[in-house]
Parts: sequence; structure tokens; C-alpha cells
Amino acid sequence: MRTPLIDRRELLKAAGAGFFAALTGRALAETMQADAVFATAYQRRDGSYGAAILSEAGAVLHRIDLPDRGHDVTFDPVSRRSVVFARKPGTFAMVFDHTGGKEPVTIASIGGRHFFGHGVFSRDGRLLYATENDFDNAAGMIGVYDASADFRRLEEFPTHGVGPHELLLLGDGRTLAVANGGIETHPDFGRAKLNLSTMRPSLVFIDRLSGDLIERHELQPELHQLSIRHMAVDRSGAVWFGCQHEGPASERPALVGRARPGESFGLIDMPQDVLGGLRNYVGSVAANTKAGMIAVSSPQGNALVIIETAGGRIVSTSRLTEVCGVAPDGRGFLATTGAGEILGPEGGLIATEEYVWDNHLSRIG
Amino acid sequence: MRSLLLFLIAMAIAFASPARAENQVIAAAVSGFVKPAYGAFQTASAELSDDMDALCAEPSPDRLAAAREAFASLVTAWSEAEIIRFGPVMEENRLERILFWPDRKSTGLKQVQRALAEKDATATDPATLKSKSVAMQGLGALEFILFGTGSERLAEPGEDYRCAYGRAIVSNVQGIASAVVAGWQDPAGISAQWANPGADNPLFRTDEEAVTELFDIFIHGLEMVRDVRINGFLGEEADGDRPKQAIFWRSGATTGSITANLRGMRKLFEASQLAGLLPPDSAWIADSIGFEFDNAESALEAADGPVAEILADAARRGKLAYARLVTSSLSELFGVRLAGALGLTAGFSSLDGD
Repeated sequence: MRTPLIDRRELLKAAGAGFFAALTGRALAETMQADAVFATAYQRRDGSYGAAILSEAGAVLHRIDLPDRGHDVTFDPVSRRSVVFARKPGTFAMVFDHTGGKEPVTIASIGGRHFFGHGVFSRDGRLLYATENDFDNAAGMIGVYDASADFRRLEEFPTHGVGPHELLLLGDGRTLAVANGGIETHPDFGRAKLNLSTMRPSLVFIDRLSGDLIERHELQPELHQLSIRHMAVDRSGAVWFGCQHEGPASERPALVGRARPGESFGLIDMPQDVLGGLRNYVGSVAANTKAGMIAVSSPQGNALVIIETAGGRIVSTSRLTEVCGVAPDGRGFLATTGAGEILGPEGGLIATEEYVWDNHLSRIG
Repeated sequence: MRSLLLFLIAMAIAFASPARAENQVIAAAVSGFVKPAYGAFQTASAELSDDMDALCAEPSPDRLAAAREAFASLVTAWSEAEIIRFGPVMEENRLERILFWPDRKSTGLKQVQRALAEKDATATDPATLKSKSVAMQGLGALEFILFGTGSERLAEPGEDYRCAYGRAIVSNVQGIASAVVAGWQDPAGISAQWANPGADNPLFRTDEEAVTELFDIFIHGLEMVRDVRINGFLGEEADGDRPKQAIFWRSGATTGSITANLRGMRKLFEASQLAGLLPPDSAWIADSIGFEFDNAESALEAADGPVAEILADAARRGKLAYARLVTSSLSELFGVRLAGALGLTAGFSSLDGD
């Protein structure tokens, strides 16, 4: 039986962006409210970069151009604005309003810093936190921006590690979780990894108001080349993290771990064939709190693995070329690929001609 | 759909043997480039070892000159081989132990100078040197020994410690080279794994994964040459130049090393016979790749010399800037044109993502 919703999705899929161009502002707003809405950075087939708001059927509802490659998008539900960060070692972030009210605002990183590609808003939408590189001192920083004053930079505090990547705000609205990937880079040398033999990744919890370090966790010394990079919070409040192994490919360390502030921190076991399929690289981690599931993606292994958060059971493993972006949708996940495909929670695959999708997909509505 | 995969399947049938057929492209890349490149590196390290022995036994200006020349040959051999960034060279931090660069905070330099000042006995014994800082045991440290402040005194008696430390570094590099060569020669090792993808292969499950690994060498190698090796010292404009951030600036081997990086990629491209897989209407891609490798090489040759001199001479500096531009063209040819024609995704997210 076909529900009206599915009919509409089919319509959107067939119509693509052109359909929306013809919608009035009000009709567009209604469409956006009814459907799940996602945000991602992309590259167009002509080589240009941008960020888009997508419907769950893969239609581009809104897009902005970017001067260079973007990375993650974070959303503030209060002002309904999104921020897309430049990919490391980029020096811009772009604030945009897909509902059309406000002109985009560009945030430039200050001298001596660049962005790492991730950020998060405070719950009230007033402050924006971004991971940044104090590259001359090889020190991770969190830059704090005032969203109520044109994103003026207010202050910064250290992440107590090198090469911070993703950061999240935990359920208390006050604790930031930061994945310090441990890899030193300097913009003089592009994306070259400068300290692989001595890197020491960590996962830290920081009080966003005081900037104080609450907890700092490291894996055992023999896993010092396992870079902790992406995270998601499950419904119990546990922080799941995904890693990328910088050591030899002949080693196959566990790549997914879980931390509970004040309680525990460690990697979790996975069946060897599932772990092998990730090829030492987790590109994105997402949680579906309603369904009690975590998804980890590997564009290196062309694999999407879904894990039940309660028992750690592997729910499914999908093979999909260059899958990386993943965000909760319905009882599962919507996933995007570097080949321009979108995989729905029920397994339907949509191919896009115009775009290839960047590493991250965010659920914004 | 994917012409390369179809081709590989056809090859597998054509070469059908009792066992599963090898991936011919990978097998050719290994036998025609990887093994010879590491073999040349091993040989060059042995030759420098002999020259260092001779220098330390009886110092003379000629023997110092011979050792310095052998160092330059070793740098060339390494620079051709270093584009390979997987397999045995990734074990035990070998890549960083052979060459820790860039050394942004001059950590290695300070450690080497301290060892020289204190005559640290653990640095002159290869057995103990290999567990010291990676920055103390490879080509960067050796370059300072042979070309840095005070190196001219190696031409006369009395620099026993400095010479012995240099010998220990060469011995250490030689040992690493031998281990990497042995790793690629191991019949059950990386060579077999790379050329024989399959469900039970721990590293490569499919032909596409194996061929993507080959492609990554070009994509990453070109990015390294441009973003790290050239942009590391060549500014957009001359006022942004930083000559002392150039690789091997002390020995004057900067452009030689960069030229050898590109020559390694060219040799690998030719050895793997990737061009032979292109359909006739895409044959121009291989021609363009050859043409651009020629352009880069002649520009770098025209610029050749000590970095400070090149940067001070607008014409030669321009040659370097042109070579940088050519690497961008090569990145496009490999990453977009060749990958597209062979039905490989260009690796938008999978190549060194975040």
C-alpha cells in the first residue's frame, strides 16, 4: 500500500530541485516542515564546492556556493541557521539560512588558527564552538563565537590535545566532548601528517562555560596511532567514537569505542569480518536515538555498519561505494556517498548526477 | 559500467590457471617498479655505507666528496621509492625513521647537535640508534652530519665521533631498506596480497580495492610534491618564500629529490601499463600524462641548484612555480581523467578524508 508520503517522495525524487524552484515560499516551507531535512557539503561535477539542504528523498532544497571544500554542517534550531565549516586546513565557515530570511555570513578564522571542519551551537543558539588549530604551537583549540553578534569571536580554550576534529555538546547542554585526533598538521605543509610516530590521540570532556577540562581519556600506548575523530551520543548518553588507524594496514585494531563521562572509556569488539570491512577507517558516526542504533561508515571500506547500542549487536552491514555521510532517518539512517548516491533507511538508492557528497550528513529537521 | 573491472575480469579468464589469476596491473607494478625502486634504494645505501667506512677510516677531502655524492644518490633513490606509502615501509615507523620531514620545530636538528656535543655513545651504535628518536636516525640527520655546520672537518682526522654517528645512520637506513625489500620479496607477503585480492585476503578484497591502492600512490604523491614539498618553501609570491623550509636544502638536493618523486610516479605509471587499459578514445590521457611529466622534469632541471640561489633568481624561481602548476594538471589527469576513463571513482571522500 502506498501512503501519500511515499507518493510525495516519489514526486520529489522525480522532480528534483527544479520542482522546488517552482514552489512558492509558503509551499516550500510546508514541504520542509513535513519532511526530514538534512544538510551536507558537496562538490559539483564541474569541480565547484558548496553546501546543500536535502530532503530525505535526495532533493536539493537549498544550496550555497563555497570558495573551497566544506566539511561538516552544524545547525541551530533556535535561529534555524546552519554553519558549514571549511575542510582542514580551511580558514572560513559560512553561516546560512535555508529558510531564506537572512544573507549568508562568512566567519574567517583569526591569524594563527584554521578550522578543522566541525562545530556545534549551544542549546540556546547564542554561542558557536568550533575546533581550531593553533598550528604554530601544534595545540588544539576551541574557538567561541557570538551568534547574536555576527559571529564575533569571543574567546578560545585548549582541547588538551593535538588535531581536534569533531566536537559534540552532551545532553546536559554544558559538557563538550572533543575528539583530539592526535595528528599534527601545519598549513605550510598542506595536509601532511607531521607526527605519526609520536601521536597521542585523546577524547576529552570540557566545560563549555569555564573552558575547564573535566576528563581526558587515552587508549593504551600500543594504540597511540589510532586517531579518535568522530562521535555521536546514543540515547543513554554514551558517546560512541570512531577511529582511523594511522599505523600499518597489517594491523586491524578495533575502530569503534564508547565513553560514559565519569564512568568508562574503551573500544568495543566487532566480528572480524565486519571490522576488516572498515579497512582501518571510520569516516562518520551517527546515532538514531529513537531506534537505539549507531551507524559507522567507511568510505575506504565502502561499508556502512549499523550497531544496536544496548547490546552492541551488529544490525546490518551494507556495501556501498564511498559511503561516508550518515544521519538518523526513520527507524534507520540516511547515508550519502562520494559517488553522489543517497541510501535511504529502507535500502532505496538514489543517484544524483550533479553532486558528489562530502564526508558528513547532518539531520537538521 | 566499469570498464576497468570488465577488463580485469577478462584478464582473469584469459590467464586462468588452477589458482585464481593475478591482477596483471598490480603484478606489473610490483615487478616493474616497486621491487626495483626499493632494490635501488638498498643498493644506494650499501654504496654510501662503503663510502662512509672509507671516510671514517682515512678522512680526506676526496673521501668526503665521495660520501656526499653517494648521499645525493641515496636521496634520489629514496625519493623515487618514497611515493609508496603502504606495505612494509609502514611497519615499525620505517617511513619516519628513514626520513622524518618536515621537522618544523627543528627537533631532529637539536637532537643531532646535542648528540654531537655530548658524544652520545648510543647514537653511534646502530643497535641503540634505532630505538632513539626517529628524527635522529635517518636521512635528515645524515644530511646534517655530511653537510651541516662543522661537516667540512670530516675531511680531516679528528672527527671520529661525527663520522661514527654518520656510519651508524647509514647502517640503520641500510637495515630498514633490507627489511622493506625482504617484505616485498616474501612470497606470502604484500606482493601476493596486493596482486591477488579475494574474500579471504586481509588487505584487498576486490580488484577495485587493489587498483585504488595503486591510484592512491599517484593522487597522494602528486599532492605531496605540490602541497608539502614545493609549497613548503615556495610562496605564492617571492616574499612568501622560506628557503630553509625546503627539503634537503643543506645538501642542495631539493629539486633533485622532487624530480625523483615525479620520476618514481612516471616509472610506476609506465610499469603498471595502466595506459594499455584505456579505450582508444581516451588514449590521449596517457599521452598528456607523459607530456606533463616531461614538462615538470625539464622545468625542475632548468631550476636546479641550491634553493636559496633558485629563489633569488626570478627566472629559475619561475621554473619552480611552473613545475608546481604542472603537478596540479597531473592531479587532474590522474584523479579525474584517468580514474574516470577506467571507471574508478576519483575518491572524493575516500582519499585522505577527514
